[in-house]
Amino acid sequence: MLRITVQKALKGGFLSPKHVSPMLSKGTGDVQKKPQQIEVFVDDKPVMVDPGTTVLQAAAMVGVEIPRFCYHERLAVAGNCRMCLVEVERSPKPVAACAMPVMKGWRIKTNSEMTKKAREGVMEFLLVNHPLDCPICDQGGECDLQDQSMAFGSDRSRFTDIEYSGKRAVEDKDIGPLIKTIMTRCIHCTRCIRFASEVAGIDDLGTTGRGSDMQVGTYVEKFFLSELSGNVIDLCPVGALTSKPYSFAARPWEIRRTDSIDVLDAIGSNIVVCTRTGEVLRILPRVNELVNEEWLSDKARFAYDGLKRQRLITPMLRNGFGELEPVDWECALVSVGKKILKAGKNVGAIAGGMAEAEALVALKDLINKIGSEKVCTEHAYPTTGSGTDIRSSYLLNNKIARIEEADLVLLIGTNTRLEAPLLNSRIRKGYVHNETQIFVIGPKVDLRYDYTHLGTDPGVIKDIEYGKHQFTTVLKRAKKPVIIVGPDALSRPDGAGILLHIQSLAKIIQACVTEPDWWVLNILHKVAGQVAALDIGYTPGTKSIVQDDSLKVLYLLGADENIPCRKDLPKDCFVIYQGHHGDKGACMADAVLPGAAYTEKQATYVNTEGRAQQTTVAVTPPGFCREDWKIIRALSDIIGKTLPYDNLDQIRCRLEEIAPHLTRYGDAENGNFYDVSLDIGKQSNVEIETDPLCVTQNCLEDFYMTDVISRASSTMAKCVSAVRQQKSSQY
Amino acid sequence: MASLILRSRISTSRILKTCSANISTTLSNFADINKAACLKDAKQIRKEVALMKREDIIQKQEHDNATITIEKPSEISTVSGIPEEHIKTRRVKIYMPTKNAMQSGTDNTHHWEMEFETRERWENPLMGWTSSGDPLSNMNVQFTSKDDAIAFCEKNGWPWFVQEPYKCKPMKPKSYADNFSWSKRTRVSTK
Repeated sequence: MLRITVQKALKGGFLSPKHVSPMLSKGTGDVQKKPQQIEVFVDDKPVMVDPGTTVLQAAAMVGVEIPRFCYHERLAVAGNCRMCLVEVERSPKPVAACAMPVMKGWRIKTNSEMTKKAREGVMEFLLVNHPLDCPICDQGGECDLQDQSMAFGSDRSRFTDIEYSGKRAVEDKDIGPLIKTIMTRCIHCTRCIRFASEVAGIDDLGTTGRGSDMQVGTYVEKFFLSELSGNVIDLCPVGALTSKPYSFAARPWEIRRTDSIDVLDAIGSNIVVCTRTGEVLRILPRVNELVNEEWLSDKARFAYDGLKRQRLITPMLRNGFGELEPVDWECALVSVGKKILKAGKNVGAIAGGMAEAEALVALKDLINKIGSEKVCTEHAYPTTGSGTDIRSSYLLNNKIARIEEADLVLLIGTNTRLEAPLLNSRIRKGYVHNETQIFVIGPKVDLRYDYTHLGTDPGVIKDIEYGKHQFTTVLKRAKKPVIIVGPDALSRPDGAGILLHIQSLAKIIQACVTEPDWWVLNILHKVAGQVAALDIGYTPGTKSIVQDDSLKVLYLLGADENIPCRKDLPKDCFVIYQGHHGDKGACMADAVLPGAAYTEKQATYVNTEGRAQQTTVAVTPPGFCREDWKIIRALSDIIGKTLPYDNLDQIRCRLEEIAPHLTRYGDAENGNFYDVSLDIGKQSNVEIETDPLCVTQNCLEDFYMTDVISRASSTMAKCVSAVRQQKSSQY
Repeated sequence: MASLILRSRISTSRILKTCSANISTTLSNFADINKAACLKDAKQIRKEVALMKREDIIQKQEHDNATITIEKPSEISTVSGIPEEHIKTRRVKIYMPTKNAMQSGTDNTHHWEMEFETRERWENPLMGWTSSGDPLSNMNVQFTSKDDAIAFCEKNGWPWFVQEPYKCKPMKPKSYADNFSWSKRTRVSTK
């Protein structure tokens, strides 16, 4: 249809001015006049909407929800379920509300006889082939089809199987270890297909056949492997796609929902932890437009079974045989306290990636009271120049939600798809809807969108900065450019040099940006605790610990990834591990103090954009585990350096004293002093080396098990083996 | 803060009225047998008002109907009977329930709720149901506004915090035609 109009336009043919004007305005430039709003009436309620708004959207504006199966706000319009049929006055037939743009003065009737009849008819057709297995269906109780058939369906069935042929039956597909498929239940809404191709960028799902032979599947036997695959479970309005780990575990009315925050990456996705008794049964996303929209990465969603395995549940001390022996709290705290008192000032602490702000503050206060300044995080970050004193040099300054508005994205030394899947989905959203151009300096990884690769050599950054690279002009011409730097690029020995050149490049580009509050420089972190730790004043990297020969006590606060090994530490160094999982850190420790995991404490986390959010207690910590800051508070009492806070409110007051943004939950405090940070940085002389930029997470296999919780999760292990299995498959 | 008006609980004015009616009863009223047979039980005559003068009765009535205004928020925790442990050591979360990610409807998400922090729950070995030692574990009160919820917590002496709901993004018109657009990346590849 469009082809004809183009030909007509070329001929200068018989087009009405209405048709020509949009083409002309497209060609001449982007100066768009704000279109006039038009008035429509939904159930006689007047509403002003922009032209092009669909009937369904107009109805939503006045609070009328039209039933739907295929339509989803975050996916393209499909218009194939027909559940949203509504009557429009003086229209002979009902219209599909999700696809039909409103016209001036339309009177939409969402509750008329015709609408009701249309819904009832659609419902009847859907139920002809939908099995009546609600009692054994995992979706039962939170099923759109169930609810809508109750609300809009007929009260009796006309389905008489005179041929005894039975209902339509479809073979189940095996699409991986996370998603269970019962394809007979499928109503062909195609939400999963649209999600896979639009959001996840994996065109594996599709339909075959027509009419009652239509099937949703992967064409060939193949796993649906994506870091965002779990979202199709939420999207499925019926029980065709359900969660495999959660299958037959619980009914929605018997679980309790606790709103919380995910800490398995630095995005800080909003989640709902579903629990029954003292057990986490599943994790679902919670809508937050500013952070995760409505999606959740597979690690955040499915790694919860790791919370039940490999847990440290009692305090432990290493006995004469070199084995860790369970002891009670008093015994553990007293012997740890003695060691700390004996060590004097020679105490150091390393905080891990999942440590929350409360514990970080308590630990820093304790170590400082003892007289030591050696508090660091396990993940390195450049410390030369202004280091981490200025927030803009370690934040995703432009904020996650605005990344999708960018018209040019430059990724440096990062695999956003695996390090921050939800940031990557934002970039992809921009790529699809906003024609964003994406450029990459660093390893050629699969990001699920097309990008231009500028090389792996970090020297390219310098070339672009000095204008020697042809990309410079492209970058300068962009209206809303962002540079996103990955954590692996900055934890290199020459990370300071890389950061400095990126900062100076960002300054040049920033000067060309006219958009207000648009920040070019963006730094991505890998772990949830890093930004809070830097805000509080921890030194990034464990260098100062390793270099210290007089260290007598090393306190690991959930540090398991980049900790020094035993032989790097002085021989008589006493290692204390406080955390929730028995991993590398607990293995080398002389004393273990069991802490609480993120679902078990009310704790503050700051995500990579500097947004403070808090988790809440969904279940109580198992065994003798205690909230982390309380352990440190108790220890401080024993060594006679009592910390001045006894409850959560008091420690939060202390947090506020240090950095007020830490308790402004939901808000992201902006970065600042970009130029000052650059000027101080220029005084130090760190040069970029020629080693190619690389990332630790290269392919999907590396995504699933990255921290203590996901390493203890059997679901995540199954995912890794599924990826490996898929590799050997012919498809 | 809003002032609160306390009313005296026992309304004696009605008793007074009935008493005075009883006093004025004369024998002549009972002449009509049919009428007398239908009479209800007489109210008990109270000794303390029996000898009162009419002015005194009016004064007492006025006194009973009077209200006392208190110029500070009321705190009922001292008289509510809730153990001190469950007032001082609890934290109330005030929030709007979030939409279930598994469904597209938004019913039951347009009000405010309060919830106490989670205390230990365990599976009861008898039936497999959830047990808890926390009497406030299942207390779920709904409010039409945040301020109501806060006022309720203040009144009961519970420390509270508010979890603000996320802010909605302005709606962007969606177009079915995008699926077939030649020049855009929104063109549908798979169906």
